[in-house]
Amino acid sequence: MIEVLQQILNGVAIGAVYTLIALGLTVVFGILGIAHFAHGSVAMLGGYLTFMLSEKFALPFFVAMSMAMVVGAVAGMLIERLAYRPVQNAPHINAFIIALGLTMMIEGFNLLVFGADQIVIQTPYRGVYNIGGLAVAELRLIVILTAVVLIGVISILIRKTKTGKSIRAVAQNRSAAILMGVNVTQVSLVVFSISSALGVAAGALIGALLAIAPGVGEGLAVKGFAVLILGGLGSIPGAVVGGMILGVSEAMAAGFISSAYKDVIAFLVMIAVLLLRPQGLLGKR
Amino acid sequence: MKSNHFPFLTWLALIVIGALVPTLVTVPYFMHLIILALIWVVLAQGQNLIQGFVGYVSIAQAGFMGVGAYFSTLMSVKLGLPVWSALLLSPFVTGVISVLVGYPSLRVKGHYFAIVTLAYNMVIFTILMTYSSLTGGEAGIPNVPRPEEFRFLGWLINFEGRSNTNFYYLTVIVGFFSTGICWLILNSRVGRVLLSIRENETLAEAVGVITWRYKLFAFVMSASLAGLAGSLYAHYIGFLNPEPFGVDQSLNAILAVILGGSGTLSGPVIGAFAVTFLPEYLRIADSYRLVTYGLILVVATIFLPLGLVPVFSKLLTKLKTIFWRRHD
Repeated sequence: MIEVLQQILNGVAIGAVYTLIALGLTVVFGILGIAHFAHGSVAMLGGYLTFMLSEKFALPFFVAMSMAMVVGAVAGMLIERLAYRPVQNAPHINAFIIALGLTMMIEGFNLLVFGADQIVIQTPYRGVYNIGGLAVAELRLIVILTAVVLIGVISILIRKTKTGKSIRAVAQNRSAAILMGVNVTQVSLVVFSISSALGVAAGALIGALLAIAPGVGEGLAVKGFAVLILGGLGSIPGAVVGGMILGVSEAMAAGFISSAYKDVIAFLVMIAVLLLRPQGLLGKR
Repeated sequence: MKSNHFPFLTWLALIVIGALVPTLVTVPYFMHLIILALIWVVLAQGQNLIQGFVGYVSIAQAGFMGVGAYFSTLMSVKLGLPVWSALLLSPFVTGVISVLVGYPSLRVKGHYFAIVTLAYNMVIFTILMTYSSLTGGEAGIPNVPRPEEFRFLGWLINFEGRSNTNFYYLTVIVGFFSTGICWLILNSRVGRVLLSIRENETLAEAVGVITWRYKLFAFVMSASLAGLAGSLYAHYIGFLNPEPFGVDQSLNAILAVILGGSGTLSGPVIGAFAVTFLPEYLRIADSYRLVTYGLILVVATIFLPLGLVPVFSKLLTKLKTIFWRRHD
């Protein structure tokens, strides 16, 4: 029983990171209809940047992560302006192929600049609390807390601010938003910078929690989309629920079946949901 | 979109060129690349069926290639089946597996389909890597046999050795076969339904087309061609490990189709040769390969969305108007 609880706790921590990735994907998809597949690679770039800032310049983890998030936001705007905007009126398949090309470019860039070795970001949060036989690592709590804070900030930004209002307007009806005087170009830049900053944060957390290596980014993007498939598109609660399900089922699979097959199990869960509830667990038909 | 891209004369010219290549190309390494490119033609024609005709990007082509390659290899190495029968069986087996994969993933539209197929590619790759008692894992399977020699009209036809001419002819025949199948599909009723799904799926459904059946058909055909390519590849290279069947090879297949011209018959052929020969001519180090390919994919999609085929055909018509100026 204790071991099941232990795995659930591990799963919640990694699921919180998946939720962050999925949030970045869902805002972009909601606004621009783009399956921004390069998101996972952007997250990896963020992880590497955080690693470099905290190792080379000896910055505290959260300072390094925040600086990396700023870089990520700028990179997101560049991606929107240079890669996606030229094809915004072309068939959607073109934007997706561009996303695949961007993935290759960013993965290649990471490989060139940061090398092929696996890295782990060192953090000072190394404590382990013992709560009734349950080993609770301080790092996992920090990761969950960071994710909760970021999700809260994004929710408030989208629900309460004027920018958030225009983002929701564009998501609901693009042409009507244009007619109402919403600057759609600006909105998509903002959305991309928010999304990429979230991705970078997720990458930094992954780097501290597990490890970063070439190829992890693609898997991360697939898991982000799996979360969206699980939870249903365009809802923040859906992303949270989907992230938890994916994270926990993965941790269970790793703990009780085989860690080599944990990704396979996660994808099987996604495929099962597709078969039984194609609209997602919290989605509407 | 013209559907009759391959008139009789073009076919004839291609057959003549295909037959003459071994006498014209004397450098063995070049021959080796051409054989690889022809295997890629089979793979890219399959990719084009689902990506170019139906407009659904599948990112599992290399995974299915792996399924075909491993099935064929295991049949011939472990069970001692003749290579020829393994070659013939592998597309069917890959096709059956792709039904299991395609049925759930075709319930979702557009981008999600791509993501789910990519997940499948990752699953296939993980299984090939992890289930090492059967697949040999990362160390792979050495000494995959070439097809058996046979007598044909008194000639002994064997397939041993690097850049083997007979193996070249085999890949040419399979390349023509796969292109021919795509030609037949494109010019049939099914082909027109596939194109209608690409142009407007909702409308096609409204007219009464049960679209998922057609999509599944295209997906299974595409996977079968990938399986065939994989089997050819395994028996040509002679050594099999999971590395060429990862996601980045699937992305290369997409690049081949986009670069050549998606939705055309000649596009995948040009794209396959481009993807095989590009690294040789650009002389790029392997570490720059990903960045360069990605950049080409992005730039080609923005500036050359129809691929290289229209560029070539425009050049051809220009040449025609210069040399055969009609007097009328």
